[in-house]
Amino acid sequence: MTGAEFHGVDVDLLADYLGGALAGTPDESVVATLIADDPAWRSAYESLSGDVALVVAELGRFEPEPMPEDVAARLEAAFAEAGARPQLTLVAGDEAPRVREKRKLRWVTPIAIAAGTVAFVGFGLDYLAGRDGGASDTASSSSGAGLTQERRDTANAPAIGGAEPGYGESQSQRFSSEAPKAASPQPQVLTTGTDYTRATLAAPAPEPLLAPGASSSPDAAGATIADELGRLSPMAGLQQCLNEIAEANGAGPITAESVDYAKFEGKPAIVVRFTAKNGMWAWASGPACGTPAGGADTRAKVPVR
Amino acid sequence: MTEGPSDADLLRAHLDGDAQAFAVLVRRHRDRLWAVALRTIGDREEAADAVQDALLSAHRNAAKFRGDSAVTTWLHRIVVNACLDRIRRRQAHPTVPLPDGNHSDDRPSAPEPAAPPEDHETKLVVRQALADLPAEQRAAIVLVDVQGYPVAEAAGILGVAEGTIKSRCARGRARMALALAGLRGGPENGTGPKPRDAGHAAGGNQQAAQTVSSGPGGNHPLPTPAEGRDER
Repeated sequence: MTGAEFHGVDVDLLADYLGGALAGTPDESVVATLIADDPAWRSAYESLSGDVALVVAELGRFEPEPMPEDVAARLEAAFAEAGARPQLTLVAGDEAPRVREKRKLRWVTPIAIAAGTVAFVGFGLDYLAGRDGGASDTASSSSGAGLTQERRDTANAPAIGGAEPGYGESQSQRFSSEAPKAASPQPQVLTTGTDYTRATLAAPAPEPLLAPGASSSPDAAGATIADELGRLSPMAGLQQCLNEIAEANGAGPITAESVDYAKFEGKPAIVVRFTAKNGMWAWASGPACGTPAGGADTRAKVPVR
Repeated sequence: MTEGPSDADLLRAHLDGDAQAFAVLVRRHRDRLWAVALRTIGDREEAADAVQDALLSAHRNAAKFRGDSAVTTWLHRIVVNACLDRIRRRQAHPTVPLPDGNHSDDRPSAPEPAAPPEDHETKLVVRQALADLPAEQRAAIVLVDVQGYPVAEAAGILGVAEGTIKSRCARGRARMALALAGLRGGPENGTGPKPRDAGHAAGGNQQAAQTVSSGPGGNHPLPTPAEGRDER
């Protein structure tokens, strides 16, 4: 559909108007004015609105489509088999989990033994527990709580990332080898605890220790965020999440500039600032980001100007 | 309302080791999941594979469900995403159609089951027009206009803003309306310029989706992408 049927009329824009997608935007009144003043737009509006109503009515008359018996039986059999082998059931053709399982077994023990040093190796983990470990290392140390906090944070480490496959890889390895859509230099990783809203999403992340929007103390906020966003740590699911965001953004690869483990409208969220062909964006995604079910788990996205 | 344990109860039971609970849960919703999958992907065998893969994935990863949406929304999301993934893979790796098929990269291979004699032609045109839509528009329309999900729930299933669902539905309906107008001798019926993607070749839907733009002359350009207004 191009609008060529109605000369001089942007049919997509008119369709958005008819469908209520422009409600509350400046374009709503622009289109209303065009319909009122421009005969071509008025004609297109009258024609299209009638036909769209017919289409909607016809779609509503589609017959129910019950699952065929053979498909249902196949599904039941698959569940029965999966129930018998709950940990190792693979979908046909899916070879990756077997490899990942081996890698996990290889790494679990060393990770458990090395838990006390995890915070120094996997810098993302202490971000998850409430601090910026990159640019604000100095600030953290100068607060006088640095070492104590560091040790407390490592208690969360195995739960956050210890069981993740590939945990022993360096972050740069993961970013470079598994980044088909969001390959980028390592983004700045923050955990400000900031409770973003749509209005503040595009603003630069506040300094962690001064964050006015932080909903609680760094310890409490860090613990909550670590619990909720643990699987999105740089060592674990961050890359998959960035890939899903790139996919959802729909403008090719993205270059993540910063990743903030924070909140959006009161709920734990990862806030990614990135650039892509369609500009710079601030994107809030929930804890399911990067999962097959969750996609990008988008909570909000706003352009950064 | 479903009697017996709730969906959430069944999911918990599954996580607690009840070997039957997940199957019971799926049995409740399988017809709707199937209808969404079939109408989104358009091919019976592919729909069956997508549903099975998706639900097995849900079975394995049930512990990751965080309860921030209804269980049925979560199941639909997994199934729809599996369908869209398959469509994207088809586009990335197009196959040679069978001699007797009209399988394209994006659209369903054939209209859905035959309609009753009354309004037969209209039904066929509407079904084919639905099949010809870009996958994202088709998925939105299937959820909202065919299956009757509220826009907010469809947005949750597809993981996009409500405005995006409205836009996808609106633009998809408009495409379908133009096809219907063509049937009745409207602008597409040889009396006026045809849409660029009318009768497009295999895989053309996605391209069309990416190139839909403001009308000729560009007098009224589309606004820049903004929350709730991105077509994608």
